[in-house]
Amino acid sequence: MQPILLVAITALSLLLTAQAAHTLYLMIYTWDQPDSGAMAGVPDERADPSLSFTVIVPARHEEKVIQGTIDRAATVNYPAHLVQLLVVCSADDTGTIARAQETIDRLNAAGRQDAQVVVFDDGPVNKPHGLNTALRYARNDVVAVFDAEDEVEPELFSIVNTVMTQEHVRVVQAGVQLMNYESNWYSTFNVLEYFFWFRSRLHYHARTGAIPLGGNTVFFDRELLESVDGWDEFNLTEDADIGLRLSAAGEQVRVIYDHRYVTREETPPTLGHFIRQRTRWSQGFMQTLKKGTWKQLPTRRQRILAWQTLAFPHAQALLGLYLPVAIITAFVLRSPTIVALISWLPVLMLAAHFVTAVAGLYEFTGAHGLRASPRTVLTMAFTWLPYQLLLMYAATRALRRQLMGVGNWEKTAHIGAHRTPDTQSAATDSVADSTATDSADSTATGPAANEEGATGRAS
Amino acid sequence: MRKGQPAVPRDDQMQEQVENSRPPPEPELPVSTGRRTRAGWVALVLAMVIGLVTHGYNAFRYPLYLTDEGIYTEQAWSTLREGRLSPYTYFYDHAPMAWIVLAGWYGILPGQFQSFGNPINAGRVLMVVVHVLAVFLLFEIVRRFSGSTVAAFLATFIFSVSPLAIYYQRQVLLDNLMVFWVLVGLYVLARKDGRIVTAMGAGGAFGLALVTKENAVFLLPGFAYLMHRGVTGHLNRRFSASFWWFATLSPVAAYLLFAQIKNELFPAGMDFNLNSPPAGHVSLLYTVWWQLHRTAAGSQGSAFAELLRSSWLPRDKYLLLGGTVAALAALLLGLGDRRRGAPLIGAAVLAIGYGFYLGRSVLLDFYVMPLVPLLSLCIGLVYARITRRIKPTAAALVAVALMAGPLATPGGYLLKYDQFHRLVGVDQYRISLTDLQHKQIQWVRDNVPPNSKMIIDDDSWVALHEDEPKFRNAHSHWKAASDPDVRDNVFHASWENLDYVAMSNRMRPAMEQNNGGGQEDWILQAIDQHGEQVWQASKGNVELQIIKINH
Repeated sequence: MQPILLVAITALSLLLTAQAAHTLYLMIYTWDQPDSGAMAGVPDERADPSLSFTVIVPARHEEKVIQGTIDRAATVNYPAHLVQLLVVCSADDTGTIARAQETIDRLNAAGRQDAQVVVFDDGPVNKPHGLNTALRYARNDVVAVFDAEDEVEPELFSIVNTVMTQEHVRVVQAGVQLMNYESNWYSTFNVLEYFFWFRSRLHYHARTGAIPLGGNTVFFDRELLESVDGWDEFNLTEDADIGLRLSAAGEQVRVIYDHRYVTREETPPTLGHFIRQRTRWSQGFMQTLKKGTWKQLPTRRQRILAWQTLAFPHAQALLGLYLPVAIITAFVLRSPTIVALISWLPVLMLAAHFVTAVAGLYEFTGAHGLRASPRTVLTMAFTWLPYQLLLMYAATRALRRQLMGVGNWEKTAHIGAHRTPDTQSAATDSVADSTATDSADSTATGPAANEEGATGRAS
Repeated sequence: MRKGQPAVPRDDQMQEQVENSRPPPEPELPVSTGRRTRAGWVALVLAMVIGLVTHGYNAFRYPLYLTDEGIYTEQAWSTLREGRLSPYTYFYDHAPMAWIVLAGWYGILPGQFQSFGNPINAGRVLMVVVHVLAVFLLFEIVRRFSGSTVAAFLATFIFSVSPLAIYYQRQVLLDNLMVFWVLVGLYVLARKDGRIVTAMGAGGAFGLALVTKENAVFLLPGFAYLMHRGVTGHLNRRFSASFWWFATLSPVAAYLLFAQIKNELFPAGMDFNLNSPPAGHVSLLYTVWWQLHRTAAGSQGSAFAELLRSSWLPRDKYLLLGGTVAALAALLLGLGDRRRGAPLIGAAVLAIGYGFYLGRSVLLDFYVMPLVPLLSLCIGLVYARITRRIKPTAAALVAVALMAGPLATPGGYLLKYDQFHRLVGVDQYRISLTDLQHKQIQWVRDNVPPNSKMIIDDDSWVALHEDEPKFRNAHSHWKAASDPDVRDNVFHASWENLDYVAMSNRMRPAMEQNNGGGQEDWILQAIDQHGEQVWQASKGNVELQIIKINH
């Protein structure tokens, strides 16, 4: 029995080390590449506006932030007649509808056309269904998706217009960045995850041709989107899913990351929200893995990358389950020195990830004109392991939900912590009413949206 | 907005835009990016051939197999044959990377320890291979940092022909492998392609140097300086620097972890008392503590000044004096031009750092070896700097003149006067000393029963334990004197349990020097009071004996 256990420990340790090393490399990929500037950069000169955009903002219980988002989207640095604005809400979300309508009425009164609230009253009540509903009202060349709490960067449309027309790409993913890195103990790492994901890792995915797209600040050629029937309404990470479907179809994706033009967001306000969000992402990846779109990718390299990315939450969950076993084994099992040394390799990789996080913190703060203090680094040292445990817990939770067939959308609340006072539309009132889990919107049992938007209405 | 019109950032983004939009600053380390010319290729190949010939020719016959060569070969033997780091108790006197590499080398050779006759010969072949690779690395380091092929050739020429280099670099020593990893690290650093994995690779190589021989730590300031100056101005400097340090420290951490896993990191009871070593088990940190407090008196080492006068300067005064001047000049020239002078400063700090170690430590004479490539590096870089304004042809001619001096001068690199005042070639290409050791081993095989209890020196250990018949009770006098497993369990610290003593050259003074606590008394008593010389051979001042202990 013991030899089998030792072989298993060695194999698992080597596997985890390889996985961690590869993930680490993806985190620093663009910094490591001599041509990273060209890979991620924004064109220095802008083309004349020629493409028209439809901005879709799906919103659910976003009374606190929706008005600011609409105002910002409506005042981007791009000709107004080339921008259609659609806010999409479920009919039961009367608060958000009222706030959004109020702002849109004001815009209409000021002469702004093509802004409207799209309301749907069928299910499932989730983001992909909202997006698909709004897609039927979209009539411009390019569909842009933003979340309700996003600070839409005014220059972005001009940049995407330039990229799409000059580089002849039909999908553009622009950077999204959480900003409130010192809000609480987990926010630093959460901010850095976004930073490494959009600043580095996605570029590797794009170059390889197997990219799980982000949920917002993403731009699609409308006809392309319609040709793949929009988003998967039964997938908790419909963004990753559509990215892989488009990759499988051979579509090249351009990723832009420039600190000046990122969409700024916030970390979930409470630990509970963070866990629910992370659970949703992990479960969404599990769903996408099970769905098997990755198998349709043309090359083995693409398939391996996609599989590895989608299977990561499984590995994380198994690691979470394995951890207590490992601790018990460390005390009980007497292993040969070489096995013991190998079993420490994943810990070395964990340390390497921490080093990367600290360097990343200084990169992030330096790029955004912020200042990282040694105190933050010290806090990170103490919270690094708990954060990893948190991720393992969320992945384990996702695995349990997945195995039990629970697939409802656990919504993340937004309070506008990433916004500066002048851009924050709402005051700092309680967010209790917007932080509840939407347990009713079960995507597992909801009916699929029918054609022609029969249940959607624009107001 | 019209085509060609620049985007207008918000005011609060101006600072960021400036940082993002400006071109990356010029890297601080000047680097030759030019491709190697045909003459450059010829120079490189010639340098490597010189390295191969000077180190390979006569390498099996000169110098004598040294005790330390024997120790590392027997530890490689133990690694390969027994899966242990030493046939005796490993007490962390050195990190094990070198003999793990050596074991790997023996492992891939078809004949393993018997590939080239005496087992140490195969190790010496590895040293020649390592030297030729080191010549390539040093050549490229100098060329990349200075842009001068002539300077690169000059540096490697000295590195290959210096008698100091040949004498020690032929021997199977940890220092040679340590220097190899150092040069790999510098070579990777000199690539300057701006990649993080490059910095990581450089750090990893230096980390391996640290666990090959710990005295590499004295090269850390120079190495770290070169790395930090190298990444300055790069957009990924934070990652590059962080990962250089991480990769450097990882092998060291693994070494500490290894000791901790075996519960041998700390001494038993956390007892660091140097006067009474803690019983129970060996300890890495105790050994480090002990080494830090060693003094020349009563230990195996000698002081810097003594070795300099009696051993190093007589072997190669040109390199030591010229190299020291070059190191100081490199420092001054570098400080005078901080922006482009980083390689000069770095090379000088490397050499001075190691010189600092030599000046303060208890030394064995081969400890000087790492100084050879460092001084050669300084000479190469300084030569490139002072000849940068003259034509390459002129610089080459001056270099040839510089190289010809020690080559043509009697007492230099090639020629010397013998006792009859005749001009002859220098010892390293002419003399055979190891044949005495072969004869000694052969006599043992022919005349000593394999089950005899023998005291030997480490240089013959693997030959007697590997080849048939095996002499399993032949042990080093160092272990017979100090290792309880050998002293108490095999010999019971009594002359009556000893059958033969195979004396290597200068083994007797070494035993006497190692007898501060009387631990060699029982062996010396066996030799002096009960010994009978049964075999003897000598050549010059080298003398070997075999003594039979009469019961």
